[in-house]
Amino acid sequence: MFTYVARRALYAIPVILFASFLTFWLSSEAFGSPCDKLRTSREGVTAVRRCEKRIGVDQPIPVRYAKWLGNVVEGDFGTSSRTNQEVSAMLGPAMWNTFQLIVFGSILSISVALFVGVFSSVRQYSAPDYLLTALAFIGIAMPPFWFGLLAQQFLAVGPKQWFDLKEPIFFTVGLHSAGGSGFNLDYLRHLFLPVLTLTVQSIASWSRYVRTSMLDVLSTDYIRTARAKGVPRRTITWRHATRNALIPFVTVVALETGALFGGLIITEKIFSIPGMGQLFYDSLLVGDTNVVVAWMIITATFIMLFNLIADLLYGFLDPRVRLT
Amino acid sequence: MLRHRRSLIALTMVAGLVLAACGSSGGSKSSDTTDTKAGPKSGNGTIVLGAEQEMDCADWIASCGGSSWGVYTMQQHTMPRVFDFLKVNGVWSNVPSVMSAGEPVVSDVGGKQTITYKINPDAKWSDGEPITSKDFEYTWKQIATGKDIYDKSGYDKIESVDTTDPKTAVVTFKEPYGSWTALFGGGLYGIFPSHILEGKDRAKAMANGYDWSGGPWIAKWNRGVDVTLTPNPNWYGTAPKLSKVIFRFIPDTAAEFQAFKSGEVLAIYPQPQLDAIEAVTKGIEGAQTDFTAETGNAEALWMNNAKAPFDSVAVRQAFAYAIDREAIVEKLFGKLGVKGAHNTINPPILAEFSDTTEFAKYKLDLDKVDQLMTGDGWKKNSNGIWAKNGKTASITINSTTQNKRRELTEEVIQQQVGDAGFELKIKNQTAAQLFGKTLPSGNYQLGLYAQTATSLEPGLCAIMCSSNIPSKANDNSGQNWTWTNIPEMDPDLALVDNSFDRAARIAASKRADVVMGRDLVSLPIDPLPNISLWSDRIDGPTGDNPIFGMFYNLDQWSLKN
Repeated sequence: MFTYVARRALYAIPVILFASFLTFWLSSEAFGSPCDKLRTSREGVTAVRRCEKRIGVDQPIPVRYAKWLGNVVEGDFGTSSRTNQEVSAMLGPAMWNTFQLIVFGSILSISVALFVGVFSSVRQYSAPDYLLTALAFIGIAMPPFWFGLLAQQFLAVGPKQWFDLKEPIFFTVGLHSAGGSGFNLDYLRHLFLPVLTLTVQSIASWSRYVRTSMLDVLSTDYIRTARAKGVPRRTITWRHATRNALIPFVTVVALETGALFGGLIITEKIFSIPGMGQLFYDSLLVGDTNVVVAWMIITATFIMLFNLIADLLYGFLDPRVRLT
Repeated sequence: MLRHRRSLIALTMVAGLVLAACGSSGGSKSSDTTDTKAGPKSGNGTIVLGAEQEMDCADWIASCGGSSWGVYTMQQHTMPRVFDFLKVNGVWSNVPSVMSAGEPVVSDVGGKQTITYKINPDAKWSDGEPITSKDFEYTWKQIATGKDIYDKSGYDKIESVDTTDPKTAVVTFKEPYGSWTALFGGGLYGIFPSHILEGKDRAKAMANGYDWSGGPWIAKWNRGVDVTLTPNPNWYGTAPKLSKVIFRFIPDTAAEFQAFKSGEVLAIYPQPQLDAIEAVTKGIEGAQTDFTAETGNAEALWMNNAKAPFDSVAVRQAFAYAIDREAIVEKLFGKLGVKGAHNTINPPILAEFSDTTEFAKYKLDLDKVDQLMTGDGWKKNSNGIWAKNGKTASITINSTTQNKRRELTEEVIQQQVGDAGFELKIKNQTAAQLFGKTLPSGNYQLGLYAQTATSLEPGLCAIMCSSNIPSKANDNSGQNWTWTNIPEMDPDLALVDNSFDRAARIAASKRADVVMGRDLVSLPIDPLPNISLWSDRIDGPTGDNPIFGMFYNLDQWSLKN
């Protein structure tokens, strides 16, 4: 197992290096100099040149990349050309905010999708199955930005106006009220709408995976045998069928959760949460190469990490799978 | 039984949430918006306001510090300045601030322009130290000699600051500088505390916020989340009526409106985008609104005078006669009550420096289009497009992406000029590409964007004098991106910049406006109105300030009981 993990980690290094160079090169070429914004100052090009010299973008890209990589190895992602802050100092808070959304979103999505998928499969072609299927397709088709705004309207703005409340039941801005912190009711009231927005599509699509996978498993011989032996239905469903049906589900969840660390641009923007998605969006708009490349490395690392976790979980869920 | 218990738990949770939402009516501390226990007289109460952009840094003079929202949320509330920008007798004017002991005195000493600033004897920083002439000197040196400065204009013309009298700063210029009122906080920057920053790395000390203040408020910036203002205990002016003001960053316009409607923020200052205008004109319960076309903005079709076909005055004029600007303004801002096209390159707040007679002549007139184009040797081809010497009047317009209002403007213009025989192609770019590459390189024909004033001083020479066309002579740093080259206009525009005789500057600026209209160097479209929205729970003088935004007088705001 250790050898397997170590080998996968080693494979990841050239992938990350290649991806980082590609991102560095493309973002430098595509966005131009981050100092270009100074052309609109009254000093124009003079200010641009002063800035370019200061941050070193007047050098060739391979030289800049080599310099940047040397610093990254020492844990220094450089300075943001947009904010003049250390990039690592910007990534920390952004990752923490995104992490909170992902943890709660994943817990909710996995729990609900699993329950809905299993329920639909054991009640195949029943009225509740049709209803849940219809809802799943609506959920899949629902763009997050639209759902987010609808959720704000009908779960925050609407109730406040209809019932003449002093403040909305669920908040639409940030993760805490101004000056607030910690895990409390205020936090949950802020968390509810973004997590709901984040999970609608996941629940909808993941529940379909679970349902399909469960239907495959429920039609296998060993389930039929278990039924013939008189094993209780609940035991068959949850202990025998669901565990096996989880294997493809785990792959999907692991891959999508890993990618989510890269940012939830829409959700974070609509709910004004300064996470990785918003950081990426803001940096991309002004060609802040150091932040964009650091963001890419973190995203790629998490995707590979969750891929690895998925592979390890196969071994746990299916003892026939051996990791070598 | 179990099912009943679950239902009971769920019901209790819902009831708890509703009670929590109702419970703040007495001024709960958990409230995101208000603490209404205390009335305005006691200087209490908290309000939360929406900010649609976050500044990149709080080092206002650095390249990262040139954000309008930095001024709106922090800078103007903490940095002392020489002038306030207020309406006097219905006209926006520079009025000496509470930090000034009177109007600065302009004089000519030995052939050099000298400005004497008298500082209010009571003026002090939040730590109790007095604001002195040394702060003026420090500010000048930081801007004029600093490494990563956004804009040194004006400060680089200062020769010295005399600090002999701590309460009198005497500033001497190397050469005359007409826009001197934009210095020392009249426009972009404020005054820095030398006793705190001297000998330190200013950029590092300020980039992430600072805890000192020379204004009515002390600001605390929580990056990505909010800016909190609390009253400055050593403020020497009238004390703020609120105990706390919080700006929450809400970058999405639709979400900003939702937060306003839900009462999470009590005022917003959105860009005049189509969805914002739609939301405002539909009406929002419990909200007050203010729209004004008296702004610091001038949105125009900027023509590249050196690029065909706009290298011909006749074509530029014909193109202008092909556009119904009144209809465009009506379509964009008619719902806000903004009528009529903008008829000067100057923004509306500089009306005193403007002469609108020439630009006002350009109204939709297809006969004049035909007359001007045929007079210039053009003929319509089989597709109905003007052609000359084998080339058609095909024009590409560049503007900023993700701006629905500008996209709509382009589409309307495309249709209008199409009817007149011009082919218009739309090619929008990111702001960085447009302002960073396309416009400075001159590789464009037509641009749609706005110029925004940061002070009550005109400065059109920078963008219209022939000496400022990007060239080797000016190290390609010229900002005359329309390649306007009218030598007869240059002396007037230069006089506006270099003289400190206000009457002469006004007359020269008006003469230049007439020439620009006559030769149609570009076509002004609209004044890009400002929109302010606030809850009717807010008490105080509310409304727009074209330079400092709608939050310029927060110290006078309070909450209604």
